Amino acid sequence: MLSLKKLLISSFFTAASCVVSISSVAEELGYPEKEELTFGFIKLTDMAPIAIAYENGYFEDEGLYVTIEAQANWKVLLDGVVDGRLDGAHMLAGQPIAATIGYGTQANIITPFSMDLNGNGITVSNQVWEKMKVNMPKQADGRVQLPVKADYLKPVVEEIRASGKPFNMGMVFPVSTHNYELRYWLAAGGLHPGFYAPHKGDTSGQLDADVFLSVTPPPQMPATLEAGTIQGYCVGEPWNQQAVFKGIGVPIITDYEIWKNNPEKVFGITEEFAEKYPNTTVRIVRALIRAAKWLDENDNANRPAAVKILSQSNYVGADYEVIANSMTGTFEYEKGDVRSVPDFNVFFRYNATYPYYSDAIWYLTQMRRWGQISEDKPDAWYKETAAKVYRPDIYKTAALSLIAEDLASPSEFPDFVKETGFKPPQTEFIDNITYDGSQPNAYLESLVIGLKQGQKL
Amino acid sequence: MNALIHKFTGKTSDGEATLSERIFTSLKVATLPIFGIVVFLLLWSLAAKQIDTSLGKFPGPQSVAQEVVGLYNEHVAEREKADAFYERQEKRNAARVAKDPTYEPRIRNYTGKETFLDQIVTSLITVMSGFILAAVFAVPLGVLLGLSSAFNTAVNPIIQIFKPVSPLAWLPLVTMVVSATYVSDDPFFAKSFVNSVITVMLCCIWPMIINTSIGVASVDSDWLNVGKVLQLSPIKKIQKIVLPASIPAIFTGMRMSLGIAWMVLIAAEMLAQNPGLGKFIWDEFQNGSSSSLSRIMTAVLVIGLIGFCLDRAMLVIQRWVSWDKASAAR
Amino acid sequence: MKTFLNISDIDVTFPTPKGEFTALQSVDLKINKGEFVSLIGHSGCGKSTVLNVIAGLVQAKRGGVILKDKEVNAPGPERAVVFQNHSLLPWLTAYQNVELAVKQVFRKTKSAAEIKDWIEYNLKLVYMDHAMNKRPDEMSGGMKQRIGIARALAMQPEVLLMDEPFGALDALTRAHLQDSLMEIQDELKNTVVMITHDVDEAVLLSDRIVMMTNGPAATVGEILDVNLPRPRERLSLAEDPEYNHLRSQVLTFLYEKQAKIETVKRTKASPSSKKNDAVA
Repeated sequence: MLSLKKLLISSFFTAASCVVSISSVAEELGYPEKEELTFGFIKLTDMAPIAIAYENGYFEDEGLYVTIEAQANWKVLLDGVVDGRLDGAHMLAGQPIAATIGYGTQANIITPFSMDLNGNGITVSNQVWEKMKVNMPKQADGRVQLPVKADYLKPVVEEIRASGKPFNMGMVFPVSTHNYELRYWLAAGGLHPGFYAPHKGDTSGQLDADVFLSVTPPPQMPATLEAGTIQGYCVGEPWNQQAVFKGIGVPIITDYEIWKNNPEKVFGITEEFAEKYPNTTVRIVRALIRAAKWLDENDNANRPAAVKILSQSNYVGADYEVIANSMTGTFEYEKGDVRSVPDFNVFFRYNATYPYYSDAIWYLTQMRRWGQISEDKPDAWYKETAAKVYRPDIYKTAALSLIAEDLASPSEFPDFVKETGFKPPQTEFIDNITYDGSQPNAYLESLVIGLKQGQKL
Repeated sequence: MNALIHKFTGKTSDGEATLSERIFTSLKVATLPIFGIVVFLLLWSLAAKQIDTSLGKFPGPQSVAQEVVGLYNEHVAEREKADAFYERQEKRNAARVAKDPTYEPRIRNYTGKETFLDQIVTSLITVMSGFILAAVFAVPLGVLLGLSSAFNTAVNPIIQIFKPVSPLAWLPLVTMVVSATYVSDDPFFAKSFVNSVITVMLCCIWPMIINTSIGVASVDSDWLNVGKVLQLSPIKKIQKIVLPASIPAIFTGMRMSLGIAWMVLIAAEMLAQNPGLGKFIWDEFQNGSSSSLSRIMTAVLVIGLIGFCLDRAMLVIQRWVSWDKASAAR
Repeated sequence: MKTFLNISDIDVTFPTPKGEFTALQSVDLKINKGEFVSLIGHSGCGKSTVLNVIAGLVQAKRGGVILKDKEVNAPGPERAVVFQNHSLLPWLTAYQNVELAVKQVFRKTKSAAEIKDWIEYNLKLVYMDHAMNKRPDEMSGGMKQRIGIARALAMQPEVLLMDEPFGALDALTRAHLQDSLMEIQDELKNTVVMITHDVDEAVLLSDRIVMMTNGPAATVGEILDVNLPRPRERLSLAEDPEYNHLRSQVLTFLYEKQAKIETVKRTKASPSSKKNDAVA
């Protein structure tokens, strides 16, 4: 019964994407309808595909003249895309999804390209780290054993709360990957990160919380931690490495250890843009695929060159050494504790750029888990919503045309004939719970802390 | 009267000062500022070494000097990139025309980053546009207020309430209104530019209105009597007597508001991420690289220098157009 | 002979926070064409107010001013005023100051060339043709007042009104200007009403001297005819018994009949009395 359902769904998706792709592949890709574009980004290393597509001339190869503009925060960036000031942007995976279901800003944002895997970390202040470290198991060489679980943070939080003070942590946006990853990690260690109750007008996300989470723009994280407003944060690079370099805090875990090869940023455009400028859309994706491929080519051989570009003041702008640390496959935890994390930033391998429906559904489950979606939804709703936002059809058109021009090989992409858009059930989470994208409600039941079927705040 | 005293004292000192006194005075004028600057640089570099931030030591004069060179080189490099960009574009256009003769090639503007020098130019254009726009509204309104005490009494409370409001408080409203009302597919001005200009205008307009109306209201009654005896028409009266008579006051207001406008613009650019020097500073702060602080310090000095030059330029213009030479010295 | 300028029984009041202040009461004065009349009186007696009523700058509460059978209520160039402190527009040169007036009065009747000649003629009349292109702040007080007179003369007024025209000048400059004014008057035969507080000036220049009582409610006290032959020569007049007689008559009026009681107080309150002077 179960497998039949699965089969039906997957065949539906393949059929849908086939219809689109056949019509567009049949003819040669036309000139872009709109040539002058402005893309927004937040100063994080995972904006790299956009910078590389510009600097390596991939955009220009497509006849696109792109201006790249740093944005103040994720809200400004999303508003820019919605009101047309920006044609597209480096987005949090949750942003197009939340916009489509009308959580926060309501807008039809789609994502034809997934920008990277992993790349985030959690950092705590030096004082919190000193207290956590005491109880932690050590390796033979005296360094702490990884991964650092939130179980060791729990006594520290309890101690601070007992003294009458709140334990605050920063994340970058209510629908950001960082928010869900931080919540996942805290909940896995028995710390409640708080519920949202938008139907009651409560969007603070701090109901029943042990740890109070609030929004801080990524580049301001180290300064906010230094000021003592927060005791820790979850953010993308280089803002974890920045903290250890400047001696402000200690990065304790990467998201790779929370959920191996988790999907990270996406490239978001409005649905209207994709309909009005189909050639432009496909050409943007082509340029981005080439950039991502270049970033991962020959075992990250191009990463130092990429870091040099990213350290320019108009891109990420942090020091070369800080960005290089994570981008070239290492991660510095405690000062001097440098470990190899080759897959910390994945831009292309493991089909990182393909927009999987199952990734979108994971974000939807987390929105439900923490109350951002206040009511139960059937499994079918999760799948429909994912298909509205994630557009592998556009990705496929772009990939096939690159293959046709010998700019990429079929082996670098999923098998487009068989691909359903659902990754096989994933098991590599920090709490060993299995995620199957085709069973969102069942997955929600399996999580210890969080809203369950029928539960409403 | 003031002018008279000024002239009088000026004359006697010129006439009676001995040669040695005059040499001493000019030496003092030339050396004291240099001495002041040298002491400042010394204190600055000493203090800089004492201040440790999470982004490294506070930048001293040397690192700022290096940064000036660095920023200039960056500008030159960016210009070279721009040239290459246009060259590639022409080739691409030519190739497309060869393939499709109906295609009308277009040259698109360089899409690279704005250098420090570009940001300076952007800020200057923005501040001048807002300033001129404010003058266009404020001077006629000020004249009207100065001429009609009834109108003045009616409008004055509104002006007094809006005058102390920081234009930055208006910024969110301006941004929302502009993005709702200024809609066009291919706008001639960027929205961010319009936002900044309106913000600058909002801060320039009040001192200008107030000074103009005070200037107009306090025109020497004898001059107005001259106009009455000559039976000048109202428009001729404004043109021949009221406006020229109020020019010193109008310019005092303008100089004041340009100074405020320059300060406010930098803050507005930082806050709204509008292109310009303010955004440059904010971006550098966000970057948090080891050169960020010295770049910000460079920008601080450049902002000060430009503010000073703007004020001097206004003074020169004021001296040139105003009959009351003494008012320019105030 | 018909009266040329008739100041007919005027009252002037000014509103003050304490109620109405009566400045002039029943001032009645008839002036003939070509006559030079001085108004003399103590500070604050309202002599300037009389002039302003004639100029049309102040309205009488009762009575009125009739010039050539027509009542005048508003200012006009046919009653040109030479103001006490010259009132030249400081942003214009001497030439431009006169030009503003000439263009306003003669723009319909004179050609551009005629206007230029007329301006230059008038500047020459006051010996200021060499300073045509100077601005007021480059000129001495006497020069400025000469330009002020040239501007008024250039309007070809029916009546020339002069409000203490030489009051702010030093004695030597004043004498020079008085001589110039007499010279011009011999040639042009204008009807002139002049305010002064200088007894010698009044006797030297006038055909009649109108002496005013002290305010408030000031009015014409006595009128003195000056029948000294013209042209008058200031040096020889100094010895002239008729001149000295007239002079003492005016002095008697001012310092005996209308002796100002406040004079004692004035020394104490000099800054404020100075202000009063300016108002008068």
